Parts: sequence; structure tokens; C-alpha cells
Amino acid sequence: MVLSRTPLRTNYIRKTNAKVLFLCVSTAVLLICIFFSVFIGSSSMTFADTWHALFMNSSNAYNRIVWNIRIPRIIAAVIAGAGLSVAGLIMQSTLGNSMASPSTLGVSNAAVFGANLSIIAFAGGFLSTGNNVNNYTSSANPFATSVMAFIFATLSILLILGLCSFNSFTPNSVVLAGIAIGSIWTAATTILQFFATDVGLSAAVIWNFGDLGRATYKTDLIMAIVVVLGSIFFGLMSWRYNAMLSGENSAKTMGINVKALRFVSLLVASVITAVCVSFLGVIGFIGIICPHIMKRILGQDHRFLIPASIISGSLLLTLSDMLSRTLGSGSALPVGAITTMLGAPFFLYMIFTHREDSRC
Amino acid sequence: MLKIENLSFRYKKKSNLILDNVSLELDKGQIGIVLGKNGSGKSTLFKNILGILKPEQGTITLDGENLFTMNRRLRATKIAYVPQDITFGSLTVYDSILIGRVSRFGIASTEKDKDVVDSIIEEMGLEANAFRNVNELSGGERQKVAIARALAQEPELLVFDEPTGNLDIGNEQLILKEAKRLAKEKGITIIVAIHDINTALTFGDKFFLLKKGQMVNQGGPEVITPEHISCIFDVNVKVENINGRQIVLLEDDNEN
Repeated sequence: MVLSRTPLRTNYIRKTNAKVLFLCVSTAVLLICIFFSVFIGSSSMTFADTWHALFMNSSNAYNRIVWNIRIPRIIAAVIAGAGLSVAGLIMQSTLGNSMASPSTLGVSNAAVFGANLSIIAFAGGFLSTGNNVNNYTSSANPFATSVMAFIFATLSILLILGLCSFNSFTPNSVVLAGIAIGSIWTAATTILQFFATDVGLSAAVIWNFGDLGRATYKTDLIMAIVVVLGSIFFGLMSWRYNAMLSGENSAKTMGINVKALRFVSLLVASVITAVCVSFLGVIGFIGIICPHIMKRILGQDHRFLIPASIISGSLLLTLSDMLSRTLGSGSALPVGAITTMLGAPFFLYMIFTHREDSRC
Repeated sequence: MLKIENLSFRYKKKSNLILDNVSLELDKGQIGIVLGKNGSGKSTLFKNILGILKPEQGTITLDGENLFTMNRRLRATKIAYVPQDITFGSLTVYDSILIGRVSRFGIASTEKDKDVVDSIIEEMGLEANAFRNVNELSGGERQKVAIARALAQEPELLVFDEPTGNLDIGNEQLILKEAKRLAKEKGITIIVAIHDINTALTFGDKFFLLKKGQMVNQGGPEVITPEHISCIFDVNVKVENINGRQIVLLEDDNEN
């Protein structure tokens, strides 16, 4: 049977296919970057060494560098980039605020406080416990730090959402509450650091640098589960996010439970952020840069914007990681610094041009 | 038929009533015009009909079905809204209209949803703009897209909140003629808030005169009398019959 299509439908399919093609090409670019990323590092391994190590045919040291250091951090870059980017997008869409991000909502600040508390208070980094490296290293547990960062990040968003649901759950009240509570976490972190020993302070500051070097297969798996499940949820809600672009009242008249969707979406986005930040530290601006670039290219149709933000987030963090390993001359620079160096000027460009979202 | 009985609403428990015991009836396929000054409660009345606000007391039924006990998605298949200030995301006209089907398809649009959108686009002459960014269109064109999206909901009742407020006279006529066509051809009941009384007289079948949240009067064009208009708008007017059409004119204080 031959299907007869109207010119309108043919054009619709053509437009949709163009966006699907864009996503396929972006995925191909990401895969190429991932492949080359394996060959970049601060060690003196040649291309051939890395190639053999990929098949476990090189020296033990080289095999370990590739399989225990480079690949876990590349996987972390792909997953965390995707998670932070899509979380930023959803925060912007549900709050109707193009500057919303994990930092704006205080999620990152809360994670930093949690990690600092773990390092300084529970791992012997307080002045009262003395400036003793052995004391610190014997009780420091990287997983405990991540768990504390996660708990505080989640508590913070629950606190913000809880406070806002007492009164009117408006986008502005969420953002303002996020800024206020984020400032409290920052102040609390400063006080904590004031009482820290030199060792505790340096450990806390080093944790604050977003660093993919901490990633292991175990942390990658946990991040992957959260990011994949969250992204599936966001994907299923694509049309509802599209409806919310018309404003809260219009969305309600189209059958959307706006408050519930906003609450659940923000919670899921914050959990994704909390998991990524708790394992890797603060990696800023991914959640702002990538969604905005994709909005300019694809418009605001969330059916395409969500996967595009995921792919571009992975791509940006993978490229930033490659840059951090190349510029580090012997050791990798913190990738959070690279993304912030790229993100802050972009942020300023966005503020002063107002040219976002012109395509669709 | 849209039937509102003894509807009262206030924003906060101890604040004044914004709607005070409002009742109205509008038959299927009729265009009802709500007339009243700014702050008379028109938008609040519409928000209650749409389920955006919950009243303190009263009922609203559509063809006998109580709107307050209806679930959100079902209500969206019966009532659609065309607001005064249209905002769209950065989407194509086609996708902006397809959003109107979200209450029916939920997660992913089907071929049937696209068939409905195709026919609405053709019916409303939007083919040339179908794949343009909706934000690039003029005010009148965007308003047409908003109507098209509301139609995609296949509603029984259309609520227009001052739909021509930001439009020039040409676009205003275009939108109101479209509304009239929908009421006549599709039997959709339409309730509209319009400031211009003469425009209202041209397009309306039934008129609801609202003052400080209370229904002063309702009925056909015969309720548009100088006394009623003066009462709700606090201006002196006269009603004249020119070429068989009722025209409301502002009374000139220096006329005599």
C-alpha cells in the first residue's frame, strides 16, 4: 500500500528528519571525541602504546593507565556532562528562567558544604584535631565525602521546594529561595574552612575543584543509572515542557499539572546534579552553555532539545577534559576550571546579546 | 450549554469577593460577550471556568457535566483558552498547534493528532507559515495560531480573554470573524471578553454585563441600553439605530 502524504505532512517529516540528522551527526562527533580522548593524557604513552593497551597488549602500567585511569574518567565526562546539561535545561524550562542552573538553585553550594563538612569535621581536618596529615588520611573516606555532598545537595533542594510549596510555588520564588539558601551554604562553608587545619583546608579546596580524575567504574555506574533514568523521565515529559513554554495558565488549560510537573522535574534534575557533583566536585556552566547553544540551533522543542543537550553536555565535558589533560603538562588541570573559563565569557555574551532561541 | 450558578470567588479568605454570586447561561454554538470595566472580574470569571482558580462556592457545568469534578486532562478536551498575551516558545507554527493535542496524546503525538493539525492549518490558511518560528509572526498571525492551537484541543467551549486587545482593527476583525465562523460551522460555544461595545454588538449573540463582580444584566442585544452601559462603564452613552444596526455612541457633554 502506498501512503499518500499531504505537502504539509511531507514538510513536517522533512523538518523533523533534519533535526534527527543533527542529533545523529552530534552523536558521531561525540564518539570520535571519545575515541581520541583515550589517546590523550599526561603520561608519555605513544599512540601505539595506547592502542595496544586498549587490547590489554601493552605493559601492565600502560594497561592500567588506559583501563583504570583514562576510560573511567572519559565515561565520567560523558555521563556527568550529559546529566549536568540536561539538569540545567530542565531547571530553565520548568522555572521559565534562562539563567536557572544547579548553581542558581544552590544545589552545588550545598554539595560543596556537605563535602567540606565531611573532609574538615569528620576526617580530622579541624584545628582541634591538629595539623596532622596521618590523622587526616587515616580517617578520610572519599565515598563518605560524596555521600555527604549528595545528602546536603538533596536536602537543600527539598528545603527550597518545601518552603516554596508553603506559599505560592512560582518560578521566581524558587529561584530567589535558591539564591538565598545557596548563600547560606557558601557562608557556612567559609566558617567551616576558617576553623580547618592547613591539611583539611587544602583537601577541602581540592575537592571543590571539579575533577574527573576521581571517577571509578563504580561511581560511573551510579551516575549512569541516575542520569539515564532521569533523562528517560525528562524525555517522556517533552511535550509537557513544550506546553509550559506558553505560560503557566495556558499549560494548565491544556491539561498539564504545572505545579506537580515543576516539582518532580526540579527534584529529578537536582538529584542528577547532586550525584554528579558529589562524585566529581563542582563542574560549572555545563548546564547553562550547552542548553543555550542547542536552543539557538534547534529551537525549544524539547523532543530534540533534551537529547541535544545530553549529547552536547557530554561533548563539552569530554573536550574540556581533553584540554585539561593537554594543558596540565604532567598532570591534569581541574576540568571545572576549564568549563568555567569557557562558560563565564559565554554567560556574559548571552547577557549582552539577548539573541537566544531565535530558531526552531 | 455552559451554565454557571451562584459562583463566588475571592483571592484570600478575608479579602473582598471578586465574583459575587454570578450566574449565567450560554447555549451551544452561541457567542457570549462579557462586558465590564477593568477589574470587574472578567478574567477571574474566565479563570474559574478554565479551572485555573477554584471558586469559594457555585457550580459550572458544560452540557450537564460538572467542570470541578472533571479531571484536568478531560477538561482540556472540552474547554480551550485563547489568552490576550500570547507567548510561545521558539517553536514552529505546526508544533505550536500540535501542543494543543497534548491533553489527548499525553506522551507522543499520533498520526491522528497530526491529521487534526493538518486540517486546522489548511482550514485557517496557515500553510505558508506552518514551518516558520511562531515568534517571527505578526500579532494577528500569532493570535490565529493561538486559536488554531485551541481548536486542536477539539473543544466544546472556547474562552477568549480580550483576544483583540493588542491588535489593529484589521486583525481584530479577522480574529472575530474566525470566532463567528467557528461558532456557526462547528457549533463551538464561545465566551469572550471585549472592551469595545460596538464590536461586541457585531459579533455577540448574548451579553453579560459585569460590575464589581456582580452580574448586572444578561441577555440578547436588547440589554445593551444606555442605562446599563452607563451603569457598568460609568460613562454617558446613547444607543442609535443606523442602517438597522445598533450603535453605541459616547454622549457629548457639550452637544446642546
